[in-house]
Amino acid sequence: MPGSGGRRPCLGVRQLGAPTAPSARRRAWLSTLSLLLLCACLSRAATAHELKAAPAPRDLGISPAPRLPVIKRAPDFTLRDTADRPVHLSALRGRAVLLSFIYTQCSVACPLVTQRMVRLHDRLVRAGLRRTAVFLTVSVDPERDSARVLERYAAHFGGPRAGWKFLRDEPDRVRRVLEVYDEWTRPQPDGGIDHPARIYLIDPRGDIREIYSLSFFDERQAFVDIRALAREFP
Amino acid sequence: MRRGIVLGTVVLMLLAAGVVFAETCLSPYIKGLREPEKVMYLWTLPVDGRGSDYLTVIDVHLPSPTYGTILEKVEVGSVGNEAHHMGFTDDRTKIWAASLNTSRFFIFDVRTDPMRPRLIRTIDDVPALTGLSGPHTPYAIPGRMLISMASGPEGTGPGGIAEFTNDGDVVASYKVANHPYETVVKPEFNRMLTSSWAAQKTFMSPRNTWDPKDISDTVLVWDLKARAVIQELKGEPFPLAARWALKPNATYGYTISSGGDSIWMFRMRPDGTFAYTKAASTGTGCAPGDLRQSPDDRYLYVSCIAGSEIQAWDISNPEKIRLHDTVQGMVQANMMHVTYDGWRLYFTNSAISSLDYSPRYALRLIQIGPDGRLKLDPTFVIDFSKAPDGPARPHDMLLN
Repeated sequence: MPGSGGRRPCLGVRQLGAPTAPSARRRAWLSTLSLLLLCACLSRAATAHELKAAPAPRDLGISPAPRLPVIKRAPDFTLRDTADRPVHLSALRGRAVLLSFIYTQCSVACPLVTQRMVRLHDRLVRAGLRRTAVFLTVSVDPERDSARVLERYAAHFGGPRAGWKFLRDEPDRVRRVLEVYDEWTRPQPDGGIDHPARIYLIDPRGDIREIYSLSFFDERQAFVDIRALAREFP
Repeated sequence: MRRGIVLGTVVLMLLAAGVVFAETCLSPYIKGLREPEKVMYLWTLPVDGRGSDYLTVIDVHLPSPTYGTILEKVEVGSVGNEAHHMGFTDDRTKIWAASLNTSRFFIFDVRTDPMRPRLIRTIDDVPALTGLSGPHTPYAIPGRMLISMASGPEGTGPGGIAEFTNDGDVVASYKVANHPYETVVKPEFNRMLTSSWAAQKTFMSPRNTWDPKDISDTVLVWDLKARAVIQELKGEPFPLAARWALKPNATYGYTISSGGDSIWMFRMRPDGTFAYTKAASTGTGCAPGDLRQSPDDRYLYVSCIAGSEIQAWDISNPEKIRLHDTVQGMVQANMMHVTYDGWRLYFTNSAISSLDYSPRYALRLIQIGPDGRLKLDPTFVIDFSKAPDGPARPHDMLLN
């Protein structure tokens, strides 16, 4: 019954590995309509009942002193990267890990968060902190997201990048990883996949220290958080 | 294709007419409902206090042949809990139900079969785990729940906020100087506000025994990421429910003061600090119990526990709110829940066993017209004073 996480493909965002059957055209048409409606809705939301107050400074939402309590142990897993090499989470101890879950046919939320992770990655590189963190992006859609599709997805965002791996595996193996991270998936009639879409920050000891909502993920706060972990684990 | 065109046209017409769909009064991190509700979960306690508290499952799917009836009761297996408030986890797979009197948490699975919730965990030792008692409202953040706790471990003194994983493992607790009641978060500003009321031993005692010293009149502003209080807003006694305007980057919202018969407005300044001013009087003798909002940030709804009415306030001009409509004769009106389309408002009429003054417990429905006018639906009544296993007090509701 809930449904905010269902990401419908829409025009205006490049499709990766999208089917070209008539059903896809129908989805594209409906998506165009959805996009227009969304634009109308956002436009209306932006103008209706506005409080005449000055906008808050852009960095007001960033806490300079985040508290990052140990939430729980990060369940270990092994999945394969796009070169078919096994990647063990536990082998990454000593570095922070930013773990995200996406699927490439998702054309709204997933590309947005991947783009924000690109900006975070660039910022870490500029700050000389690139080696303090590893980015792992797991496809929740291993049947459609082949290694080649994931490679193209990474390339679309300027990849491959050092310290950022896109992961997949046989569906059963991926399913077990999704289960232990509470990343349930629910196929949608339009071919989309509803999923919680959280992003996990794991510290160098293997403990989850922050869970971000995909909807509100801000790469500037994530940078502050990773820097805080780097100071905690020099 | 034709169906899509028709659907799209209807939605476009609704949007053109100014209709906004959004679930209100839930954490913004929760996956939203985007279709009419099918089931209601209602946290309920037996009037005599001897039977088990339970989650009432109610059919609210209009086309259903069992619409408006109780489908089942899910008992929690213990008595005297004082069932009160609930909250979904961020992924909407679980409900956390808190017990005011015994400081327990009951976690229900609503993902496996939303029409048949299942109790999957009970957390009994919350004061020992957190150093806090008197849990009021569970509030979702990503992967975790924040619960406003009224008092210290013995049920007296100031309380704080407890943080748990969605599965029920304690993460941390944060003590404060007042008695937290409810939580509201605006993620884009990294700000959390907590309203307040009284210590557990106070609110579980008869009203005429309450010591004014134990009653809070402050709202706390937090740096959410730092879990740190950065400002205290002082108003009138019992600032209960708090609602932040829904549109992105909105810098204002409202609370109700049950002790002051008033609505208060909080407004964030550009530097991140807040102003807190009285916005309106609800009328002497109202004793506001709950505050709800419409999806389009146009109306507030206030229930008057003592005044036995439900008020609709027009907040089109947020700084100059005005009373728009009322429904009267709603004895002991308390908890409300507005549907995602803003067209229906469910309400119950048990506040807390120490305060209730009428045994006519019921779940009712108000239809909200396009003009924002309220009309009691005479066809939807679930009479909890005649519940199958004895009279019961219905309190907080969630829709799925």
